[in-house]
Amino acid sequence: MANERLRLLEEVEKDIAMVLQCAGTIVLELSKDKHNASFLDRQLAQFQTSINRIESELSAQIRYLTQVATGQPHEGSTYSARKDCQMALNRAEYAKVKLGELGRTCEATLEQQQQQQQQT
Amino acid sequence: MANQRVLPQSKETLLQNYNKRLKDDIKSIMDNFTEIIKTAKIEDETQVSRPTQAEQDHYEMHVRAANIVRAGESLMKLVSDLKQFLILNDFPSVNDAISLQNQQLRSLQDECDKKLTSLRDEIAIDLYELEEEYYSSSYSQWDSTDLPLCEAYRRRDSWASRDSSGSSAQDDREDADGTPSQETNPQLHLNGHGTASVEKP
Repeated sequence: MANERLRLLEEVEKDIAMVLQCAGTIVLELSKDKHNASFLDRQLAQFQTSINRIESELSAQIRYLTQVATGQPHEGSTYSARKDCQMALNRAEYAKVKLGELGRTCEATLEQQQQQQQQT
Repeated sequence: MANQRVLPQSKETLLQNYNKRLKDDIKSIMDNFTEIIKTAKIEDETQVSRPTQAEQDHYEMHVRAANIVRAGESLMKLVSDLKQFLILNDFPSVNDAISLQNQQLRSLQDECDKKLTSLRDEIAIDLYELEEEYYSSSYSQWDSTDLPLCEAYRRRDSWASRDSSGSSAQDDREDADGTPSQETNPQLHLNGHGTASVEKP
C-alpha cells in the first residue's frame, strides 16, 4: 500500500517533466514558419492531460493525508524480530564454524593414520 | 466523507500550505503558458516599432518561460515533501510494512532453526553409532560418572523394562574396561551432551 502511493507520486513527477517538455515542444513548433497543426493539437492535448492528472493526483494525496495524519510519531519497530533473526543466523554460523573445526580435526587424524601406515 | 479529525495545528497548517502551493504552481504554469501563446501572435504595428515590440515580446517570453520552469521545480519539491510526509505519517501503510517485515524475519528465523534442529538430530544419530563403536572397542576410557550416549540409552531401556516387568535389570554390558561400580542417575552429564530427547536409531 505504501509502495503504491509512492509509485503514484513517482508517476506525478514524470507528468511534471512531461508538462514542461510539451510546453517547450509547442513553443518550438510555433517558432517555425510552417506549423504542423495535428502535431500541435496532440502536444496540447498531452499538456492538458498531464496538468489535470498532476492536479487531481496531488489533491487526492493531500486529502488522504488530511484524513490519515495524526501528528503523533509512529512508535512501531521491527527491532525484536530482526534481533531474533540475527541470533538465529548467528547460531547457524556458529554451528558451521564448529562443524568446520570437526571436519578439519577428522582430516588431520586421517592424514596422520595414512602417514603411519605408509611408514610401516 | 470521512470523519473530520482534529489535527494538530502544525500538521493542518502544513497540509493547507501544500494545497496552496499546488494551486499556485498549477495556476502559474497555465497562466504563463497561455500568455506565451498569446504573445506569439503577430499583430499589426502599433505605436511601438516592430523591432522594439519584438524585443519586448522576446524578453517577456523569457521571463514567462522561467516562471513555468520555476513552477515546475516547485511542484517537484512539493512532491518530494509529500513523499516525506507520507512515509512519516501514513500509519496504515507503515503498520503494513512493519508487519510484513516482521513476518519475513520470523519465517527466516523459523527456517534457520528448523534446519539446525534437523542437523542436530542427524548428528545425534551418527554420534550414537560412533560412541557405540568407540566405547565397545579396546581404546575407550570412561568411568561411571561419564556415560556415553549409547550406554545411557541402554540403561534407560533396562530401567524402563525393569519398571514395567518388575524383573531384575540386565547386568551384562559390553564395555571392555569393566562395569560401572554404581548405578548412575539418568540425568547425568553425558560426555558433554544433555539428556534432551534424542532419537535412538
